[in-house]
Amino acid sequence: MRDKVMGTNQVMRQVIYALVLGVAAQVVFFGFSVLVQIALAIVTALSAEALVLRMRGIQITPSLCDGSAVLTAVLLAIAIPSIAPWWIIVLGVLFAIVFGKQLFGGLGNNPFNPAMLGYAFLLVSYPLQMTQWPSEFQGVLSIFELSAVDALTGATNLDYTKTQLMLGESIGALTFENISQMWINLGFLVGGIYLLLRRIVFWHIPLSLVLGLVLMSGVLYLIDPSSYSSPAFHLINGATMLAAFFIATDPVSASTTPLGRLIYGFSIGVIIIVIRVFGGYPDAVAFAVLLMNITVPLIDYYTQPKVFGK
Amino acid sequence: MIDAVSILSILALVLGLVLGYAAIRYRVEGNPLVDQIDAILPQTQCGQCDFPGCRPYAEAIASGEAEINQCPPGGQDGVDALAELLDVETLLLNAEHGETKPKRIAVVDEQVCIGCTLCIQACPVDAFVGSSKVMTQVIAAECTGCDLCLPVCPVDCIDMVEVKPTLNTFVPNVGELASV
Amino acid sequence: MSKFTFKGGLVLENPFPAKEIDLIRIPLPDKVVLPMQQRIGEQAKPCVSVGEHVLTGQVIATIDDDRCAPVHASISGTVVAIDNQVMAHQSGLKALCVTIESDGEDEWIDNSVACTENYDFCTPDTIYNKIRLSGIVGMGGAGFPTHTKVQFAEGCHTLIVNATECEPGIMCDDALMQAYPTKVIRGVEVLLHICGAEKAIIAIEDDKKESIKLLKKFCKNERITIEAIPTKYTSGAEKILVKSLLGIEIPSGGYASDVGVLCQNVGTLVAIFDAVVENRPLISRVVTVTGSAIKEPKNLQVRLGASYDYVLGFADIDPGENDIRMAGMMMGVDLKGTDYSISKNTNCIFVNKPIEKAAAQECIRCGMCNTVCPMELLPQQLYWYSKSSNIEKALDYNLLDCIECGCCSHVCPSNIPLVDYYQFAKALNRQQTKEKVQTDNARERFEFREFRLERNKQERAEMMEAKKKALKEKMAKDKVQKEAIAAAQERVNAAKTAKELEDAR
Repeated sequence: MRDKVMGTNQVMRQVIYALVLGVAAQVVFFGFSVLVQIALAIVTALSAEALVLRMRGIQITPSLCDGSAVLTAVLLAIAIPSIAPWWIIVLGVLFAIVFGKQLFGGLGNNPFNPAMLGYAFLLVSYPLQMTQWPSEFQGVLSIFELSAVDALTGATNLDYTKTQLMLGESIGALTFENISQMWINLGFLVGGIYLLLRRIVFWHIPLSLVLGLVLMSGVLYLIDPSSYSSPAFHLINGATMLAAFFIATDPVSASTTPLGRLIYGFSIGVIIIVIRVFGGYPDAVAFAVLLMNITVPLIDYYTQPKVFGK
Repeated sequence: MIDAVSILSILALVLGLVLGYAAIRYRVEGNPLVDQIDAILPQTQCGQCDFPGCRPYAEAIASGEAEINQCPPGGQDGVDALAELLDVETLLLNAEHGETKPKRIAVVDEQVCIGCTLCIQACPVDAFVGSSKVMTQVIAAECTGCDLCLPVCPVDCIDMVEVKPTLNTFVPNVGELASV
Repeated sequence: MSKFTFKGGLVLENPFPAKEIDLIRIPLPDKVVLPMQQRIGEQAKPCVSVGEHVLTGQVIATIDDDRCAPVHASISGTVVAIDNQVMAHQSGLKALCVTIESDGEDEWIDNSVACTENYDFCTPDTIYNKIRLSGIVGMGGAGFPTHTKVQFAEGCHTLIVNATECEPGIMCDDALMQAYPTKVIRGVEVLLHICGAEKAIIAIEDDKKESIKLLKKFCKNERITIEAIPTKYTSGAEKILVKSLLGIEIPSGGYASDVGVLCQNVGTLVAIFDAVVENRPLISRVVTVTGSAIKEPKNLQVRLGASYDYVLGFADIDPGENDIRMAGMMMGVDLKGTDYSISKNTNCIFVNKPIEKAAAQECIRCGMCNTVCPMELLPQQLYWYSKSSNIEKALDYNLLDCIECGCCSHVCPSNIPLVDYYQFAKALNRQQTKEKVQTDNARERFEFREFRLERNKQERAEMMEAKKKALKEKMAKDKVQKEAIAAAQERVNAAKTAKELEDAR
């Protein structure tokens, strides 16, 4: 096999292509509002990036064309509820690009995953809008607050489980009619496998993240199946696959040594379950990733591979 | 009341003893400040700072008698390094003391030298070799380029020659590489 | 096939394969420019003067220490200049060169000494000296003096002949082996004779089928084995080669000689054969001329010192502005123009049609460079610290183990010229180390001078004190003496007076 070389913009483009299936699944279940969110996010991201680059006195075109801003925008757009009002995604992307990326010195210098920083900002600041997912096919109108939202929204499986458990129900008694999450996760899984095959992401982080998630949830499930969901449930619900292949693998903010990547991915998997099960938020990818971002310099330092001849 | 006071007193006493013991037991032999300052100074020994050498200047900085921006050979980088060591605001290099020049060494014009040995006495690092009425030479590796031999030479036979990079000492410019 | 391998590296295709690998001997150049500096180490000292007539093979520069090799005239003719010329080096700096104008005769100096064909009867020392005086340096690119390397490897157990030629595009060793397979084998035998190794391994990448076939055919010596190794770039780096042949990892900071191995390029061995058996010092070499602006890559046997323009005149070059690169596409250096001459380590000249280099972007820490680094370093961390001139940290991340192979730069999706940064950091480290030694030295000398002045002052004071004391003592002594004299005088006077009185009475 001959080694081929791919440029940074090509890498970013490939990642965006790999998202197509998952996004398609979202469109099937939530409607075209998903695409409108993505479009809004991309426009905001590019404008914000261009503006900041101009203020920093840096050539705009090459940095704008590297595709990283677009990728951040798309990731954030598919992470938030598709019926969230338009200003949610605009604010989130602005925060991600300006505070999460450019203030640290732009691409390559941000210690945190910008998309997840934007997400965490939105979740903490606007919890109501950030947790209302459409229960069925919905039009674009809700984004621009033109239709009554309340009547149409529902909870995700994760949210529903949490609420029911608090009400004293046991897992076995719950029934899930919502299969949208499963198909969306499958879509992202297929995209992720494509990235692995193209050798755009290394296998370490996705594999160890899934492993951490399954192990942690498995242990809890074995302890008490009636109050903890099964590993399979965790795998196909929430943003698991998106996190494993697209979010945690953001190279800039992830660990770069082989062993470091394993530790990093595994820890994210474990933290996701810990927050999902014991925390106050239904899903936990953003916080898990951000928490582990903090530890990356430490992990990288202590997991340096053995050098030839040492 | 008495209980509280006595408990606190005993506590203070015990903790004080522990601290006192720790201070002796885990004492860190710190590098004295003067040595740390001296390590940053370029050791040109040129006296442009108005002190008779780098160490006297280091002592003056340590005792607060001199500013940190009086060393032209150390350049702005040197001033910044001193500011960081002493944890003070950095200053601009004081132009009154001279300007930063590239590294140079003294070369004696053998035809002109009369062997007066004045340069030998002026050189702060004993880089000159020679004796009375014979031609004097400079040990290139020892010369710091301080210029102190220039004013004392009665026949102006000393030239300061800039040290040019060779194939072995060439440092590529990293600024050219960064296009971003 | 070797049972060991190495991590990292790249499988690269020869971008400009040649239909046939022939060795073409080109006519003598009219003028040669011979540099006194050979890549690393000290300069040789010219021992001829302008206007002097020299013969081919005559020594024109000698050495004082073993970190460099002597230089020989590569044509016969007149020395026309000894001056500084621009070197084929990234810095574009000038260095001392001897220029000889040809008389067209190519008249050889008689170098012959006792041992020729029957080198078996010569002592290793005799042959060693012969190599030393023949100006042979590593022909693979580093240009390290061969005699010094042989000396370091005293008592080695294995001789490895590096015929991997792993840099894609370069074919000069392949051409040499196909043209002179017996010389290669004989050269190995000579070196085996002097270095004392029990066995020799000739390592060739498995895509050079013709060379492997020929060498196997001509090798009758059971101490020499010919080993085909997988074609993967950096297989020819010394440390990597030792590992993939013997499974031994040379310790960080060490050399092949530390593990009892002597590594020599195959071109060097042919040069050793020429020097020892045929009495010809190193005055020519094979240069591959290739690149996108050349219709058919060629391997030319060239006299050292011939100008690039002269050599390129024998290749079919597309007219117009072209980019020149010396040595391989991975480790070579881009040069401005063609005003250079062939030196002992010029193995290849690339003539490429100008292409716009993609601008470097920010490092996204993707880690592609980690996976290809044959030294198993973390190139992105090295880049981070090199860029910010944080040498201490870069050294911490094993900057000095980097072999500058260029794999990381090649795969970098952001097109960062990583190796350039490492070269910068290494040069800066050298400079800082040197400066540190100089400052410490200056500090010590200054402090000693202060001490000496103080001591002088004190000594002078003590001396003054002693003198004063001595003077005082002397004065006191004088006084006593004077008094004694006076007393004596007195007594004499008194006696005299008494006598006079008596007489008068």
